[in-house]
Amino acid sequence: MQTRAQQIESLPVHQRPAARELGRRSEAADNPFRAMSSTIKAKPVAGRVEQLFPPMVTTMAQKQRMILAAVDDAAAAAGLHPGMALTHARALVPELDVRDADPHGDRALLHRLALFAVRRWTPTAQVDEPDGLLMDISGVAHLFDGEQKLARHILRFCHRAGLYGRIAIADTVGAAHALARFGKERISICRTHEELTALGSMPIAALRLDERQRDAAQRLGIERIGELVAMPRAPLSRRLGGSLLRRLDQATGRLAEPLVPVVPFEMPDVERRFAEPIGAAETIARVLADLTRDLAKLLLSRGLGVRMLRLVCERVDSAEQEVVVGTARGTRDVAHMLRLLTMKIETIDPGFGIDSMRLIALRSEPLDPIALTADFGENAPADLASLVDQIVTRLGQAAIYRPTARQSDVPERSIGRVFPLEAADCWSTLWPRPARMLRRPERIENVLAGLPDHPPKRFRWRGVTHTIACADGPERIRGEWWRRPGESYAVRDYFRVENEHGERFWVFRRGDGEHACSGDLSWHIHGIFG
Amino acid sequence: MSASGYVELQVATHFSFLRGVSSCEELFGQAAALGLSALGIVDRNSVAGLVRAWEASKETGVRLIPGTRVDLACGTSLLLYPTDRLAWTRLCRLLTLGKGRAGKGRCELHWDDLPPWSKGLIAILLPDLPDETNAAALQRLVSIFGPQGYLGLSLRRRPDDALRIYELDAQGRDFGVRCVALGDVLYHSVERELLQDVVTAIRHRTTIDALGFKRERYADRHLKSGSEMERRFSLYPDAIAASRDIAGACAFDLGQLQYQYPQEATAGETPQLLLERLTASAAARMFPQGVPKAYRDQLAHELRLIDQLSYAPYFLTVNSIVAEARRRKILCQGRGSAANSCVCFVLGITSIDPIKHELLFERFVSGERKEPPDIDVDFEHERREEIIQWIYETYGRTRSALTAVVTRYRARGALRDVGKALGLPADMTGALSGLIWGWSVEGVSDEQARELNLDTSDPRLSMTLSLARELIGAPRHLSQHPGGFVLTSDRLDELVPIEPAAMDDRQVIEWDKDDIDAMKFMKVDILGLGMLGCMRRAFALLEEHRGVAMTMASPTLQHDDPAVYAMIQRADTLGVFQIESRAQMSMLPRIKPVKFYDLVIEVAIVRPGPIQGDMVHPYLRRREGTEKAEYPRPELRGVLEKTLGVPLFQEQAMRVAIVGAGFTPAEADQLRRAMATFKFTGGVSHFYDKLVEGMVKRGYPRDFAERTFKQIEGFGSYGFPESHAV
Repeated sequence: MQTRAQQIESLPVHQRPAARELGRRSEAADNPFRAMSSTIKAKPVAGRVEQLFPPMVTTMAQKQRMILAAVDDAAAAAGLHPGMALTHARALVPELDVRDADPHGDRALLHRLALFAVRRWTPTAQVDEPDGLLMDISGVAHLFDGEQKLARHILRFCHRAGLYGRIAIADTVGAAHALARFGKERISICRTHEELTALGSMPIAALRLDERQRDAAQRLGIERIGELVAMPRAPLSRRLGGSLLRRLDQATGRLAEPLVPVVPFEMPDVERRFAEPIGAAETIARVLADLTRDLAKLLLSRGLGVRMLRLVCERVDSAEQEVVVGTARGTRDVAHMLRLLTMKIETIDPGFGIDSMRLIALRSEPLDPIALTADFGENAPADLASLVDQIVTRLGQAAIYRPTARQSDVPERSIGRVFPLEAADCWSTLWPRPARMLRRPERIENVLAGLPDHPPKRFRWRGVTHTIACADGPERIRGEWWRRPGESYAVRDYFRVENEHGERFWVFRRGDGEHACSGDLSWHIHGIFG
Repeated sequence: MSASGYVELQVATHFSFLRGVSSCEELFGQAAALGLSALGIVDRNSVAGLVRAWEASKETGVRLIPGTRVDLACGTSLLLYPTDRLAWTRLCRLLTLGKGRAGKGRCELHWDDLPPWSKGLIAILLPDLPDETNAAALQRLVSIFGPQGYLGLSLRRRPDDALRIYELDAQGRDFGVRCVALGDVLYHSVERELLQDVVTAIRHRTTIDALGFKRERYADRHLKSGSEMERRFSLYPDAIAASRDIAGACAFDLGQLQYQYPQEATAGETPQLLLERLTASAAARMFPQGVPKAYRDQLAHELRLIDQLSYAPYFLTVNSIVAEARRRKILCQGRGSAANSCVCFVLGITSIDPIKHELLFERFVSGERKEPPDIDVDFEHERREEIIQWIYETYGRTRSALTAVVTRYRARGALRDVGKALGLPADMTGALSGLIWGWSVEGVSDEQARELNLDTSDPRLSMTLSLARELIGAPRHLSQHPGGFVLTSDRLDELVPIEPAAMDDRQVIEWDKDDIDAMKFMKVDILGLGMLGCMRRAFALLEEHRGVAMTMASPTLQHDDPAVYAMIQRADTLGVFQIESRAQMSMLPRIKPVKFYDLVIEVAIVRPGPIQGDMVHPYLRRREGTEKAEYPRPELRGVLEKTLGVPLFQEQAMRVAIVGAGFTPAEADQLRRAMATFKFTGGVSHFYDKLVEGMVKRGYPRDFAERTFKQIEGFGSYGFPESHAV
């Protein structure tokens, strides 16, 4: 009884089934990140790198203890391994270089790598958490002269990028995953139907099991995958759970395991090329209107709204003129986009003529269709976003803001600024504040007031003397001593005063009149009511 | 100081955990300086600080008006002041009810809980704004307390404050409730307001930058003088007068609390007679051939003293606990100064023969001190819980509870918490607190911080260091004492509120060991000792394998065994109780103990006290014979002969003071207490003149007198009384 492989071998070459019909070959390119953060690109240096840099490890917190997340070669040579306590590691290697582990950065890097792989090597790639990539190279290997050359090509890329990689090529995801991480060679290629022999001597951790399954298997004394395969299936599934057997089946090819490919995001863009170069403003405006309509249609079909638009005009002399506008909320409203772009149209210098114009949505976000209300949107509340966009486009981001309350008693610090479309906190209406507050309190002179807590009877401000008819106070506001040491025991006594004409002012005195450290008893005016 | 009638009725001490920041001593000191005649201390849902306040008030002469602030579950707050002793019992029952309901550290009370306990209590409602909620609260106040209910007014220094006070006053008058002026005091002087902000941040578990409006927004929370309050409330003179009237109506003082010992005797026999009967029969059992004269005289002397001070019930209680333990075959042993008592020895509470070892009874009970004696009993560690449960069952849960222990901020904890509140990174506070050794009171000094290469001119860092220093010693929370029991004859929760502890089946009173001593309650320490369990197992093994039945009081165990001493002299003492530390093992070959008393000296000498006081080397030299023991006067010979002329025990110091410098026994006792409490670092030096001059006057050479004083001072907190060593 021949095995399938032998049967295929016995056929003449021209009758053998094509490679792609033999089944999927999945490949895993393994990038165990040995303490390389995504911002560091180490240049591969021929020679002994280890002595130039101290051993490096990354750490993460685990239940109030810092443990090592990853170690580099020098650290591994010194006896450190992931999972060890940081204090223990420091005790072993005093000159250790410790960085924080950055799982988000690592994931982002893997994602970028997957997108890169999709562009260069294979149409289907998937991130294999936490430190690998899965690529489906069925039908692709021949473009690189075979699987071995493809593997070497990918590893050379990794080396140039400063990453250390290991590659395994096999028929199933599970087998490739296991071989890449636990295989002996750096490049391992497992031929069809040889997965079991290749996997047999590997530890069961290679099967992508979780903690519980690993512990359960260990308790039963199972160390290698070979032992697992040899045991009868039904009792295994009962004792260790079905998921373990599923992993095994996925590794041997009994169960299919499709990949979920990453999909690179394409920025929506529309372009117009002209037979004759254009230069007149009206023409540019008309083309702009057409472009905007096309872009809106494209956005609608993809369910997106644009946040940042880029208009690129390519001139006959190959120079590019560019206009960028941003919006506060995702939009595909043609009139709005056109209005914003038209504001900036004067900055375009057509030169000797514009050959093509291209409108790209640099940043977009998902935008659901808006339901129409019964009155077809006639009585809808005014949409602030378009107003904000216009002001921002004309005057800049800093020109418009919304005030919000901050939790501080000191009046200058009780007001903050937020972006107009964000929610703002309100002040309590219990304690009235002046409608107009001076940016800096101004000194007032000739103040007649009794200490320690009587309001002034008279004061002079900007040359005008005011006689006070009635007053309320003091409102004793203590300084925030943690911001500035000078405010340690400082106190301001605020009074609301009304003069004989009915004008109300907000004045304060520095100091509470009893303790010298609380202020120098000078008077200032801080605001005007009404 | 002006004799204004105003009395401050709302003061929170630092026993309002993490709200108040001043101690009772500071508050009362400031009150005396400001001329206030009385202070009303109201901590949140507790009376934990009242005993300290009482002592501070006795020292400064400002009257204490004990009370509490009750935060009801609906958000209203009331100040409750008992007017007499019965009202105090009701207040304690009320607090016990609230705490029992809510669990450790919390209290849950509602308006409906108040009516049964309201008689004799004066209640002051703390209002917020003059709105409907306040009207409803006033309504309930009037219905429960009638004319004993008041409305508190305090100036908050916020906009429209004058109007708010006016409207509150009007509202009060509508309901027929009198208004009283309050100061809402959180600290004694303005300098503490920074620390107050920091403890608020600690309480809310945020940093102080993120505190926002959780900071105390009302100003002027320091203690204000009477004339100042009169000026502020000049439009409301009746409110000021009301504070005076309330202070006058509250006639309750903590000294009125009478403590009753639990009743052990049956009707028809007084405790003293019962004690004498038990002692006589126990002595007869112990000396079947007849009680020797020395013992008889000592017993008679002790019983006379006990009768004079009425301590018989105390001995009876301890005796019954020990008897129960013996009945259950739990090994137990009295420890500490109880070993000085012959009555205890005869009754079997301790196993040390005071006559044989010549111990002083007055160390245990003295005629001058009116405090009850302190007997600590060690039980087998594993079976201690049985005794505790037996005590609860026999005395009942309303008559027995554990004392509390006030967990205070120490240097490290204060630095960590203040550093976290001020936003210092965790490793910096860790490094700073690592500089603190042991229980230092000074915190971290600037030089030490500079050693760590930290920039002490950074305002946050210097603020952290100085505020942490201020926070040291403030209470954090109450926790349970390991074994100190308070037992009473009447209900305990009528003397002091009882709250449940974190452990199951345990309840704790709000006062700690020192408060109990000050209030002259009785306390028994039920402690566990692992060594006793060891001994029991040894006895069991002996019985099993050699058939020898022995107990701790067996005669064979009372004599010295030369083989054992040979082993001790070789310092082969790993596993031997009390002498297995390395310091002990290095001292043993030098002292070469041959009898039991040598071991007593050994245990006492290897302590920081004698080492600091430079007593070890003279003693060793004299023992070896290189130096001759000299006594400047013959009367000192009697005192110091046993230890070759070097004072090693607290009693010897006491007797040197009495004999050599002419101290009366009471003063000698004060000297001993100054030595024993390390909270008063300057205590002993104040006796310097008296001791040295007294000795010089009696004809001692001056340098000897000074050397003696240095030795006594070196005892500090670490000298041993002889009986403890025994």
